[in-house]
Amino acid sequence: MNPEVMTAPSIDYIALLPYIIVGAAGVIGVIVEAFVGRNGRRPIQLVLAFGSLIGAFGVLVVNRTTLGLQAEGAIAIDGPGILFMGLILLLAILVALLMSERQLDPAGDAFAPRASALPGSDDERELTTRGYFQTEIWPLFLFSVFGMMLFVTASNLLVLFIALEIMSLPLYLMAGMSRRRRLLSQEAALKYFILGAFSSAFLLFGIALLYGYSGSVEFSVIADALAAEPGQTALVVGGVALLSVGLLFKIGAVPFHAWVPDVYQGSPAPVTAFMAAAVKVTAFGALLRVMYVALGGVRWEWEPLLWIIAGLTMLFGSVVAIAQTDMKRMIAYSSIAQAGFILIGVSTATAEGLYASIFYLVAYGFTTIGIFAIIAMVRDAGGEMTRLDQWAGLGKRSPLVAVSFGIFMFALASFPLTSGFIAKFLVFESALAVDNLGLVIVGVIASVMAAFFYIRVVVIMFFREPVEGSPAAAVPSATTTLALAVSAAVTVILGVLPEPVINLIEQAGVFLR
Amino acid sequence: MTSTDPSAAEAVVFWVCAFLSVVGGIGLILSRRAVHSALWVALTMISLAVLYIANAAPFLGMVQIIVYTGAVMMLFLFVLMVVGVDSSDSLVETLRGQRVAGILLAVGFGLLLAIGLGSALNGVPVVGLDGANGEYGGNVEGLARLLFSEYVLAFEIVAGLLVVAALGALVLAHRERWQPRRTQREISQERTRGGIHPAPLPPPGVYARHNAVDTPALLPDGSVADISVPGPLRARGDLRPVDTAAVAETAALTSGEATYGPAKRPVADDPGTSPGEPS
Repeated sequence: MNPEVMTAPSIDYIALLPYIIVGAAGVIGVIVEAFVGRNGRRPIQLVLAFGSLIGAFGVLVVNRTTLGLQAEGAIAIDGPGILFMGLILLLAILVALLMSERQLDPAGDAFAPRASALPGSDDERELTTRGYFQTEIWPLFLFSVFGMMLFVTASNLLVLFIALEIMSLPLYLMAGMSRRRRLLSQEAALKYFILGAFSSAFLLFGIALLYGYSGSVEFSVIADALAAEPGQTALVVGGVALLSVGLLFKIGAVPFHAWVPDVYQGSPAPVTAFMAAAVKVTAFGALLRVMYVALGGVRWEWEPLLWIIAGLTMLFGSVVAIAQTDMKRMIAYSSIAQAGFILIGVSTATAEGLYASIFYLVAYGFTTIGIFAIIAMVRDAGGEMTRLDQWAGLGKRSPLVAVSFGIFMFALASFPLTSGFIAKFLVFESALAVDNLGLVIVGVIASVMAAFFYIRVVVIMFFREPVEGSPAAAVPSATTTLALAVSAAVTVILGVLPEPVINLIEQAGVFLR
Repeated sequence: MTSTDPSAAEAVVFWVCAFLSVVGGIGLILSRRAVHSALWVALTMISLAVLYIANAAPFLGMVQIIVYTGAVMMLFLFVLMVVGVDSSDSLVETLRGQRVAGILLAVGFGLLLAIGLGSALNGVPVVGLDGANGEYGGNVEGLARLLFSEYVLAFEIVAGLLVVAALGALVLAHRERWQPRRTQREISQERTRGGIHPAPLPPPGVYARHNAVDTPALLPDGSVADISVPGPLRARGDLRPVDTAAVAETAALTSGEATYGPAKRPVADDPGTSPGEPS
C-alpha cells in the first residue's frame, strides 16, 4: 500500500444525526453555561435538552429503515439498536421532566445550589437564599444520554469503552448533587465513582485479552476468530469473564451489586430514576450486543455463567429487599432482583430471549420512572420521606398518588393486567423454549418472595393508619405529573394490550454484525 | 547471553524494567503517604515506557513519559502538595478481615491470570511490530492512519469525554464569589482583633543544632513551641522530638557550667518534661 495515499474514512453523518443532535446540544449547553447570565441559563438549557431529545427521537423514527454499520464499522445501527436508542431517549425525556421540577422542594429543584459549596456551610445557605441553581446538570445529563446511545450501538470494544465512560462520568457527578442529605449524596457519588472505576478497569482488561486473542476490537472480527478457532483458549475465557464483570456491574447483578443500594439512596430522586431506568436499559443493550454478536461463538462458556448470576441476582435481591425499611433501598434491591429476571432472557442466547429482554426493559424502565417520581413527591421540609412507616396512610391522604404507586408495585410484582406480568411471562417462556426449567423455577420462587415486599408497600399505604407527622404527597408541577401519567399509562397499557409493542420489537429483528 | 545478541539485550531490558514496574506497583500500595505512592507510580510508568520503546512502539513510550509521567503524575503531585499533605488518611479497617480477604483475593486473581495467560501465550510465535510499523512507513504514521480511518469515531467521541471531565471538575471545584473580596486592611484588622498571633510566627530550628523545618523552637522555659513548625507538619504529627539531653547540654554551655570539648553530657533527670533550668 502506498504510504502517501490514504482514503478518507466514510462517515454518513445523516445516519449519525441522532447522536450528533444530543452531543452537540451538550456542547452548546456548556457554552451557554460559560457565556449566558445566571438567570438566562435555565430556559435555554431546557429548550436544548427537550429539543435535542425529542429531535433525536424524531430523526431516529424517520431514519428507522436505514440500517447498517456506520463510521467504519464502529457503530451498528440495527433494529435492536434503534429500539434501545429510542427507549433511552423516551426514558431520558421523562427523566428531564422530573429534573425540571421546581415545585416540590420549597428551595427549588432537587439539586444542590452549587456542588462545590460545603454541606451545611454559610456559603450554601447564602446560595440557597439567593436562589442560585446548578444548571450544569443539563449538559451533563445530555452527555450521559449521548454516551448511552453510543453504548448500545457500539460495534467495537474501543467505542464501547469510551461510550461507557461518557455515560458514567456525568452520573458519578450528578449522584453527588442532591439538595437534601448532601453528605449521603456525596458518599454515594464517591462510592459509585470508585467502584465504577474498578469495573471500567476490569472491562479494559477483558478488552485487552480479547484483542490479544483475535487481533481486533471489532465485534465481527472477534466473532469470526471464534468461529474459525472454536477451541477456546484462556484468553477468550478470561476476556469474556472480565468483560462481563464490567457490564454486569452497570446492570447491578450479584455479586457486583454492592453500589446499588447506597447510590440509589443517596442520589437525588430524578438521577436515581435515570440510573435505575436508562442505565439499566443501556447496560443490558450493550451486554446483549456483546454476548450475541461478538461472543456468540463461545455461548456455552457464558451461558452457565449468566444462569448462575441470574439465579443469584433474583434470589439475593428479593430476599434482601424484604428486610429493608427504607423505600429507596427497597426499590434498589428490587431493581437488583429485576435485573436477574432480565438476565434470564439474556442467558437464552436466542432471538426470543432478546425480544423478551427488550420488552422487559421497556416495562421496567417506565415503571421505575413512575416510582421515583412518586418517591420525590412524598416529602417533608427535610427532603424525601423514605422510611417505609412514613408512607402509612398515604392512600387516605393522597389517594391518586397512592393508587399510581400501587399500580407500579403490582407491575413489579408482575400481577396480571400490568406490564410486569407480560414481561415476566415472555422471559420465562423464552427460557422454557431452550429447556432451562431450573432457572424458571428459581425465577418463580424469587417472584413469589418479591411479591411479598411489593404488596407490603400497598398494605402500608392503604390499610395502616397514618402516623403522626406523615403529610400527604406534595403537589408537583405539570412536568412531574406528565412523567407520572405517562409511566402509569405505559405500565397499564403494556399489561392490557402488549401486542403492538411485542410486534414492534419482533419486527426489529436481530443484531447486525 | 552475549551483549551483541539483540534479543538477549531486550531480555535484559525486559527483566530490569519488569522488576522495577512491579516494585513500583507494590510500593504504591504499601506506601503510607500519598506523595510516596505517586512517586512509586511514576517509577512504574517510566519502566513501562522503556518497555514500550524496547517493543518497537516508540510513540506509545514517549506518550507514556510525557503525558502520564510528565503531566498527569506531576499534576497529581501538585494537587497532593497543595491540598492533601496536612491530612493523613486513617488506616483503620472499618470492615474486619477486609484486608486479609482483599490480599487473598488479589493474590488468587493474580495467580489465575498469570497461569491462564502463561499457558495461553506459551508457544505463540512472536512476530514483533516491525511488519505493522513498516506497512505505513513508520510507527507514528501507522498510528495516525488508524486514528483517522478505522478508529476515527472513537477519536471524535473522546472529545465528549474530555468536555465532561472538564465540566465536572469545574462543577466540583469552582466557587462563585458572592461577597466582595476582602482587602488587606480588613484581613490585618481581623488578625489583630482575633487574639491570634499578630506578629510573624517564631521560626523553627533551635540552638543551631538543626535547621530543619520540622524541629520546633523552644520557649525560654525550655518547653516546645509548636507554632514554630508549619501547620501541615503539625497536623501529620511530623514534629522532630526535641532531644532533652542536647537542650540541657546547650543550656549548660551558655551558662558557663560546662566547657567545650569531649566532656560528659549532663543527664536530664526526666526526659519527658522540660529540661534544665534556664539561667
